[in-house]
Amino acid sequence: MNYLMHLMVYFEIFAIVALSLNLMLGYGGLLQIAHAGYYGIGAYSATLLWVHFGFGFIPGLILAGVCAGFLSLLVSLPARRFKGDYFVMVSIAVQALIYAVLYNWTSVTNGPFGISGIPKPEVLGVEFSSTGAVTLLYGFIALIFIGVISLLKTSPFGRALQAIRDDELAAKSVGIPVNKLKMQVFAIASALVGCAGGLYAAYVSYIDPTSFNLNESILMLSMVVIGGVGNIRGPLLGAFILITLPEALRFVALPDAIAANIRLLIYGVLLIILMLVRPQGLAGNYRYQ
Amino acid sequence: MQIIINGILQGILIGAVGVAFALVYRTTKVFHVALGGLYSLSPYIFTMLLTFQFPIWLSLVVSMLIISFLGFALEFTIHRPLFKKDAPPEVNLIASLGAYIVIVQLIEIFWGNESQIVQQQVSQVWRLGNVSVAQLQLLGPLCVILAIGVIHFWLKHSNKGIELRALSDNSTLLALLGRNINSLRGTAFCISAGLISIVSIGVAWDLGFSPHAGLDIILLGMVATIIGGKGFIWAPMAGGLLLGLLRAEVVWFGSARWEEAATFILLVLFLFLRPQGIFASKTRLESL
Repeated sequence: MNYLMHLMVYFEIFAIVALSLNLMLGYGGLLQIAHAGYYGIGAYSATLLWVHFGFGFIPGLILAGVCAGFLSLLVSLPARRFKGDYFVMVSIAVQALIYAVLYNWTSVTNGPFGISGIPKPEVLGVEFSSTGAVTLLYGFIALIFIGVISLLKTSPFGRALQAIRDDELAAKSVGIPVNKLKMQVFAIASALVGCAGGLYAAYVSYIDPTSFNLNESILMLSMVVIGGVGNIRGPLLGAFILITLPEALRFVALPDAIAANIRLLIYGVLLIILMLVRPQGLAGNYRYQ
Repeated sequence: MQIIINGILQGILIGAVGVAFALVYRTTKVFHVALGGLYSLSPYIFTMLLTFQFPIWLSLVVSMLIISFLGFALEFTIHRPLFKKDAPPEVNLIASLGAYIVIVQLIEIFWGNESQIVQQQVSQVWRLGNVSVAQLQLLGPLCVILAIGVIHFWLKHSNKGIELRALSDNSTLLALLGRNINSLRGTAFCISAGLISIVSIGVAWDLGFSPHAGLDIILLGMVATIIGGKGFIWAPMAGGLLLGLLRAEVVWFGSARWEEAATFILLVLFLFLRPQGIFASKTRLESL
């Protein structure tokens, strides 16, 4: 039971991650590979606020989101100028930079050794120490975020965003401020994934830079691509598949040494097949054009 | 001086990866990440052939052929169907990423994920004044320069080579003129894979190899291509040399840990200040 709860917590965290990436990719049409970097910024800033500055759980989480949202300028400023491949390159560059800073700024992030002893979440004086309690708390938070994102989707903001995605020039011609909206969606998505990073840090109580490298970004991207983008259920499905698939594989009698490889192999094959057969993902309703 | 020599040697290798990347990217607009997988795979095939008692030159040629064939296979199975569907670059990129993951995981399953080395003996060191260069360090870049020379000649003087350059300029027009675009795309993937195998084996001979080396080096190659600008040979090579020198300086004066950061800062600077690259032909910015 505890094991299932543990999976549930991961699913809740990655549901937020996938939905925030979906906000960029599915509604904004912007393929970015720096998501794990912002996840890391969120995790680290939340940790520093909790451990060194004695912030409470919720204020620390919110400030971490603000931090990640503010730093999203790193990708959203280039996004004004670049599209397609070049933008992907810029986002890879940003990912590499964030990782280098997390890894090398030893006085603040403790470098490759990471930070341990992160306090468990505590809200209104109640400490959520057991896995079950964390599941409930995170489920509640994830639901709030899902609600916010579905509101965004049907709001004028969301519709304008989809207009930009489908035809930037036409959107511009009817007076939608394209660059401003892009910056806003980057800020929102980065803030959300920053919060998710904080949740992750509080749950595992130990973070180090390797959880936030390029491979992790690729994993997040495949989550969204496999599930599909442009709606709420696609990313949720993607997060669910990528969280449960490795666990399901545990029950198949595989030699331990290659289990992780088989898992990644399946991701890779899924990515290729989906791109060939169903580029909008399993449950998505938007395909890149 | 020693730093500059090291930088140039590293730069030649990065530039060669850039050439391999540019051969695909400039002609087919495919962001060929899977090339990193082929880069990782080459030394494994090479050493496997060596253990079968093949002579060195034969193993080199055979592994080059195998990798070229795999490059062609990637185009045939993944990118050609996508091209026929007129898929956008992002879809090609994600599919290529998938192919990269598959190749690397297969390597790990068959050969394990430890770093390996090709041969044990310590190489001779040549000294010239206060500069010392290991023989092995030179071997890779020399082979690579030879290979690039061949490709350069081929691009300039053979029919296929000229068609390939035309493909990068205007693929639709080339198709209208009755050339076989599909076979040209296959050729581009093939040659790029062959070149990457030479670079990879050259590096492996000197430094050893591991399954995960591919992605980092291919990112460097991409950066070299982009800061180099338009062109197949000179532009990526210039970009590569610039990167190699910069990285050597950063390692010397700072720390090896900031190498990657310096690389990408250079890329961002270029993208902002000179997005057309070092060698730019007069085109509109939008058509980059």
